[in-house]
Amino acid sequence: MWLWFAKLGSPKWFYDVSDRWLPWLAGAMALFMIVGVIWALLFLPPDYQQGLTTRILVIHVAVAGTSLAFFPLMAVAGTITLVWKMKLADMVAKNAAALGAWFSFVTLATGSIWGSVMWGTWWEWTDARLVSMLFQFFLLLSVVALRSAIEDTDKAAKACALLSIVGCINVVIIKYSVEWWNVLHQPASPLSMSSDNANGPEFWMATGVMIIAVYLFFIVSLILTTRNEILQREKRSQWVQDIVRAA
Amino acid sequence: MKRHRKRKLTVIIFIALGLSATVGLTLFALGQNMNMFYTPSQVALGEVGVGQRFRIGGMVKEGSFFSAPDSLKVKFETTDYVHAVPIEYEGILPDLFREGQGIVAEGSVDDKGVFSASRVLAKHDENYMSQEVKAALDAAGTDEAIQILQERSSK
Repeated sequence: MWLWFAKLGSPKWFYDVSDRWLPWLAGAMALFMIVGVIWALLFLPPDYQQGLTTRILVIHVAVAGTSLAFFPLMAVAGTITLVWKMKLADMVAKNAAALGAWFSFVTLATGSIWGSVMWGTWWEWTDARLVSMLFQFFLLLSVVALRSAIEDTDKAAKACALLSIVGCINVVIIKYSVEWWNVLHQPASPLSMSSDNANGPEFWMATGVMIIAVYLFFIVSLILTTRNEILQREKRSQWVQDIVRAA
Repeated sequence: MKRHRKRKLTVIIFIALGLSATVGLTLFALGQNMNMFYTPSQVALGEVGVGQRFRIGGMVKEGSFFSAPDSLKVKFETTDYVHAVPIEYEGILPDLFREGQGIVAEGSVDDKGVFSASRVLAKHDENYMSQEVKAALDAAGTDEAIQILQERSSK
């Protein structure tokens, strides 16, 4: 049981395996991204209330949903860092924070643009969904700042791991804010084929493709930045020097 | 698992649980303050004082909308299907505003129970439907079908 876990923690193993997987993942991402974006932005039929403005929501929902994955990922990686001192976990977590901040920013921007047309306001400080999302944006930026403020890599990893575990609570708040409190933001729509789904298939299918595309983008970006991080931190090891010499 | 690792993991779990409990209790204590708006029932039952600024959220009651012919003044009622509160507003309404639509209005109630709004926002529900489907449903006279679907999904 612990053998594969130890193997998984080896940067060299991850570097080799990700090398094999990357073309497939990147190819799938490109496919879903092209289909999703063209479908959502050019061919989605106008909604009977919103007209063409509904197309923004396909991007918004996909990016927003993915942005909620960052803190749980960083918290799991952080726990592994704290308990098992696995180097790879922290290499994954390091760049996730900045990436997550971008996802949160795009979520806030697309949401604001949609809201300015549909709600009649760009921003409402009293809406728990909006404010908790902004809070996540700032929290992710503070993880980035905390990391760069501490020079010692191990100490920075530990501090960031703790902050990531704390940040997970906010994800729960974002998710359930629309159910627990009265807010302007609409609740989540079901993404299923069941008859309970009052949404037309043209909407949830386009959104589904976009969600897969954005998730793949998140995974591919994370693998690429992690590989960079591995090369940088393991630069003294023999196998990295071999790679550099070969290239 | 080695002992010192088990201890560390326990500490992390306790930190996470402790923080969750703290945040949970704080949010619970904040209560009504976490809500963006009061419902028409809360307002009708006098939970908000006269002259106090707040937001009210509900549906625009069918058949309650009147607009002045020579100004931007409008009157309508907002309802949660239990109580209705009359609203007066002067200004431009958002595109989504219409009877049967969810709205949030900002302002205060006078002693007659009339809410004078300084701002009106439109809410959107979680249902999306293309114009073609909507037109087909309307043509088939199945507006009821939409209503049933919407009621089912709002539960």
